[in-house]
Amino acid sequence: MHILATEGLTKRFPTVTALDQLTVTAGPGVTGLVGANGAGKSTLIKIMLGLLPPTGGSARVLDLDVTTQGAQIRGLVGYMPEHDCLPPDVSATELVVHLAQMSGLPRTAARERAADVLRHVGLAEERYRAVGGYSTGMKQRVKLAQALAHDPKLIFLDEPTNGLDPRGRDEMLTLIRRIGAEFGISVLVTSHLLGELERICDHVIVIDGGRLLRSSAIAEFTQATQSVTVEVEDGATPLAARLAELGHTVTPHGRLLLVEVTGPETFDAIRDTAVDLDLCLIRLEQGRHRIEDVFREEVAGV
Amino acid sequence: MSEIYDIGYRHYDGPRLGRAHSTRALAVHSLRAVFGLGRTARSKIMPFALAVIMLLPAVVSIAIMALIGQRGMGYSAYAVIMQAVLATFLASQGPAIIAPDLRFRVLPLYLSRPVSIVDYVGAKVTAMTAALFLMVAVPLTLIYLGELLIDLEGPPQTKEYLGALTMALVLAVLLSAFGLAIASLTPRRGLGVASVIAVYLLASASVPIFYGTLTSTGNDAVARWAWLINPFWLVDAVQVWLFGTTPNSEGGYPPGPASAVIVVVLIAVAVSVLALRYRKAASR
Repeated sequence: MHILATEGLTKRFPTVTALDQLTVTAGPGVTGLVGANGAGKSTLIKIMLGLLPPTGGSARVLDLDVTTQGAQIRGLVGYMPEHDCLPPDVSATELVVHLAQMSGLPRTAARERAADVLRHVGLAEERYRAVGGYSTGMKQRVKLAQALAHDPKLIFLDEPTNGLDPRGRDEMLTLIRRIGAEFGISVLVTSHLLGELERICDHVIVIDGGRLLRSSAIAEFTQATQSVTVEVEDGATPLAARLAELGHTVTPHGRLLLVEVTGPETFDAIRDTAVDLDLCLIRLEQGRHRIEDVFREEVAGV
Repeated sequence: MSEIYDIGYRHYDGPRLGRAHSTRALAVHSLRAVFGLGRTARSKIMPFALAVIMLLPAVVSIAIMALIGQRGMGYSAYAVIMQAVLATFLASQGPAIIAPDLRFRVLPLYLSRPVSIVDYVGAKVTAMTAALFLMVAVPLTLIYLGELLIDLEGPPQTKEYLGALTMALVLAVLLSAFGLAIASLTPRRGLGVASVIAVYLLASASVPIFYGTLTSTGNDAVARWAWLINPFWLVDAVQVWLFGTTPNSEGGYPPGPASAVIVVVLIAVAVSVLALRYRKAASR
C-alpha cells in the first residue's frame, strides 16, 4: 500500500514552476524528501495536505484524492511547518490540547493525548510555561507534538532539524526514527541535508527543480562499496607506494587512502605493510556510498 | 516506592468529531481569549475593567429604582450611552484574537486540520459577537431583574427589554464583523487597536460636524442622515424603526428601513473583507 502517490503532478505559479510532472510513490515507514531550497518540497507538502490545488496531474494520500478529499486527509495526517508557528503567550499544553480539539478530539481525550505526546517528544514540567520563553529545540518539539496530537496515520515534517544544535539535531532524528518504527506512524520528512536522512529513512526521494531525480530504498543509496579507507599517522605516501607494488589499486584522498578490496588478503596486506613500514595505523574502515555522492553524481548527470 | 513504567506510544481509537465540534471549540477558545481567561493576569485587566464599567449604570439604575421608585437608564438607550466603552472593548480585545495567529503564523496549524478558513473566520466573528453581546446583555438583564424584584408602578417593560436585547445582538454582529475586518488587515496587535479606535473616533466625531453644518443651513431632513455614520446611532435607528422606541439622537433619524439596509450592507462588506483577507493569508 502506498501512503502517498503522485501522477504527473505539476504546480505552476505565475512566475515559477514549482513541480514539474512529478510521479512518485512512497510506502509506510520513514520517507525522506530531499532537495535544495526551492526544489518544491514545501509545495509538494501543501498539495498533499489539500491546501494548494495542483495545476496538473493527480496526487493521492492514504488513498484519498487531494483535490476532493482534502478535509479527510487533514483529519488523518499531521503537519509540522518549517517556519515558526507558535503563539508565545500560551503554554505548550494549552496549545496542543487546543489543536488536538481542532483535529476533532473531544476535550478530555485532547488533554490525555496532549500529555502523552508532550511526554514522548521530551517536554516535562516546562510544558506548563509560556512557549515564548522556550529554546529553539523546545519549540521544535512542541511543533512536532502538535503534529502528533491527534494520532495521525502519517505526518509531514518540513525541515524538522532547522536551527537545532548538533545535540538537538541528534535527538530530533532519533525521535523521528522512533515515530516511524515504534509508534507505527508513517513519516515524510524533508531536509536539504542528506546525511541526516541517511540515518533515519527507509526510502529517499530526491527532487530538484520540481522534477524527480531519484526515488529508491535507502539500502540502494548506501550499499557497501568494494573499497576500504585507510588512515595512518604520517607515511601515507610510502604505504601507498608499497601497496601499489603489491598490486593493489590505491587512490589518495587527502590524508586518507582508498584501497580497492580484492579479497580478505587486501586487509592482510594493509596490516602487514603498516607493520613493515613501522606506521601507526589509525583507521581501517569499510567504504560506503553516501547519499550525498549519489546526489552529486545525479545532479551532475542531469 | 513507586515506579514509572514506560508504557510506550498509545494509539487513539476514540471518537473523531467533525468540523462543527472543532469550530465550536475554536469559538469558545477565542471567547475565553477575548476576556483573557487562561491567559496572564495582565490580559484580564482591560476586558474586566471595561465589563465592570458597563455594569455601573445598571447598578445605579437599580439603586434609583429601589430608593426613589423611578426608572433610571432606559433599555433602548443603554448601548448608545455606553458606546465609548463598547468601542474601546472592541478595539482592545478584537485584535487580541486576530493578530497573534497572523503575526506568529499559527494559521497554517489550523488549516492543516479539518477546519476550513470559513470555519475559522466564522468562529472568530462568533466569539467577538458573543463577547460584545454579553457586555450589553448582562447589564440589561440585571436592570430587568431589578425591575421585577423592586416591583415598580405599572407592568414591567418586558417588550423594551427584549427589543434592546435583539438590538444588542445586531450591534454585536455589526461591530465584531467590522472591528475584526479592520484588525485583520495588520498582523500587529497595537496597530490593530489603534486602527479600530481611529475608525470609531472618526465616525463619531464626524457626526456633530455634519449634523451641525446641515442644520445651521436649514437642511434638517438631510442632517438626520448624519447620525447614521456612527454605528451605535445607526443600530439605534434600526431599533426606532423596528420597535418604535424613542430616538437617542436629537431630531430623530431618517424614516423607513434605510438604516436596516445600511446595517446589512455594512456587515456584508465587513465579511467580504475578512474573506478576502484570509483567503490571501491562507495561500501564503
